[in-house]
Amino acid sequence: MNTADIQTAISQAAGNWLVPGNQWRTRAIAEAPGLTGFSPEMVDEAITLIFSSLKLEALEKFPVPTDAPRRITHILSGNVPAPGIGSICRGLLLNAENLVKCSQRDPVFPRLFVESLREVNAELAARVTVLHWSREEISQTRTALAGADAVFAYGDDESIASLRALTPATTKFYGYGHKISFAIVGHEALFTGDLPAAAAFDASMYDQQGCMSPHAFFIEGDARGFAELLARAMEDYQHRVPRGKLAIEEAALATRVREAYEFRSANDSRVSVWTSHPPYPWTVIYDEAMEFTPSCLNRTVFVKPAKTLNAIREWTGRISTVGISPWNDRLQSLAGSLAGRVCQIGQMQRPPVLFLG
Amino acid sequence: MATDLQQRILAFLNGGPGNFDELALEVFEFQRAHNPTYRAFCDPRPPITRWEEIPAVPTSAFKDFQIACFPVSQAVAEFHTSGTTHTRAGKHYFKTLELYDAASRPNFIAHLLPDVASLPVLALTPSPANAPHSSLAHMLGVVAGNDCEFFIERDKLLSDRLTQRLCEMQWSSQPVMLLGTAFAFVHLFDHLGKLRFDLPEGSRAMETGGFKGRSRAITKTELYRLFTHQLGIPTQHIVNEYSMTELSTQFYDETMRIGRQSNRKDVPAWARVLIIDPATGQPAQVGERGLIRVYDLANLWSAVCIQTEDLGIAYADGTFEVLGRVAGAEVRGCSLNAESLRN
Repeated sequence: MNTADIQTAISQAAGNWLVPGNQWRTRAIAEAPGLTGFSPEMVDEAITLIFSSLKLEALEKFPVPTDAPRRITHILSGNVPAPGIGSICRGLLLNAENLVKCSQRDPVFPRLFVESLREVNAELAARVTVLHWSREEISQTRTALAGADAVFAYGDDESIASLRALTPATTKFYGYGHKISFAIVGHEALFTGDLPAAAAFDASMYDQQGCMSPHAFFIEGDARGFAELLARAMEDYQHRVPRGKLAIEEAALATRVREAYEFRSANDSRVSVWTSHPPYPWTVIYDEAMEFTPSCLNRTVFVKPAKTLNAIREWTGRISTVGISPWNDRLQSLAGSLAGRVCQIGQMQRPPVLFLG
Repeated sequence: MATDLQQRILAFLNGGPGNFDELALEVFEFQRAHNPTYRAFCDPRPPITRWEEIPAVPTSAFKDFQIACFPVSQAVAEFHTSGTTHTRAGKHYFKTLELYDAASRPNFIAHLLPDVASLPVLALTPSPANAPHSSLAHMLGVVAGNDCEFFIERDKLLSDRLTQRLCEMQWSSQPVMLLGTAFAFVHLFDHLGKLRFDLPEGSRAMETGGFKGRSRAITKTELYRLFTHQLGIPTQHIVNEYSMTELSTQFYDETMRIGRQSNRKDVPAWARVLIIDPATGQPAQVGERGLIRVYDLANLWSAVCIQTEDLGIAYADGTFEVLGRVAGAEVRGCSLNAESLRN
């Protein structure tokens, strides 16, 4: 099959998902919330986000090397569907046969996507086999890895290390570990207009569980003022796309963080907290401390003065994306020294089609 | 006024007259008046009429502020939390240890010595003199009486000496009480290896605390199996204690009171435990998991209501169970979180 046919088929299948009431879209919204933990509105939002990125002109930009692997095994992980869909598309564009082990947290999206592809181009869809088995079934995993020319593996450090160890030494292995992201708002930025909503979207999307979800916004100007606007925008987004229901451990962790900062804020002018009503679906914490601690996730986001930015360097190598506003040379250069991917705030969750970093 | 309130609480702790609900509200008013940090926290909140509404001080506040209703320069003791490389230690200041000691003794006796007046004690902790900032060492010093030896010096378990004492106890048919942290007991069991004791009938043990990376972590079931297997102490004579530096009261499994091993803890008359549903901030249903919140009248000079970072379950009979610290929330997506790399 030639590359143009593959690109066309993927973009057509993706286009179908964007039609309201489309059967794949409807099924995903019905089936994905349980295991992923996302609200149906969030699944809906994710579908729009993911499939609108798979436009023909974007797919055409994907380079296909001459020595591309013929057989790829994808080991997916976690509840965020975007990396898995991206991985499958990448394998198809490389003209490879693909074996996909879907994540326990999201068995829905990979299967439905391949089904939607079959509707458009059955021959192409036949190049993807989606399976699920438990990570304890080592022999299954070993077989899947042994049959591949290349392995795309997603997960935490431990999982990736063990997959790497199970993969034959001659097989190309690409591991994509868990990462953090953050954003910088330059002194040139105006807080009016779309910026707070764009920031709230980036922080709330996938309930902040994606590796491109910002944990913190570093502000060169009036950081407290930004925090207040962000809080309002987080509330607006929550009304439109509610956070999913948390496991008790997650809710307890978020409560622990929120209450600790609430107590501090009563006695320390360098700390302020904005939050909503039970079940506290979002929290914005303004904190001038020089240290940086990653968020407990699930829409708990820090706002800090940019003078504390240095603390982020401890995380070098584990930073996925830095969002900036405004889009100028100075901030691009600053952000570029910290992470491989730099984009405008509001675009953090919209990586170029097959970006995996 | 404070002295009068302290005397009335002391009388209540000692089994005298008193009403928890009224005393708790009095203590709250006293603390709000005498701790500006707490007042700043409470003032923006609506007024309260019931003890359940007393604003809880998170344990983290003991790291950031002086949670005390008196000048801490007057403290007769201060107990410290362990702290880690990434966090400061929390400090609990005491104007007097009278309430602490009064809360400790009868509760310990009711749960460890319901059947005999006293037993020799082997403590797998440092002595109070060697660890003046350890609430556990102080508490054991108070409850253990004069016949007590401490077997941790400079952070090391004196395994050989302890083993020798266990031999002597077994040979003399003298029942004994062992007190210590779970990780100290694991060190002891590792040291004993194949050596097994069958301590005289009536021997018992109290274990407390988690492992905090200081020994290999094992389950409670496995720990209790080792007590029985290596020391000959049956499970109905092993009691878990739950307490923390930020409190003045300890909570014990009901095990020895009811005569069989149980994970449920009794709440003494001068304390209350609520299990808070983190999604609502309100008490969870009986039998549902939530965050443990403790109301402790013996904390007169610090904070009567403490929000812990532990998950627990409340039962209809008034007991509660501790499930462990909130930490290991699963990462569902592909982002690192606050707990990913720090543990």
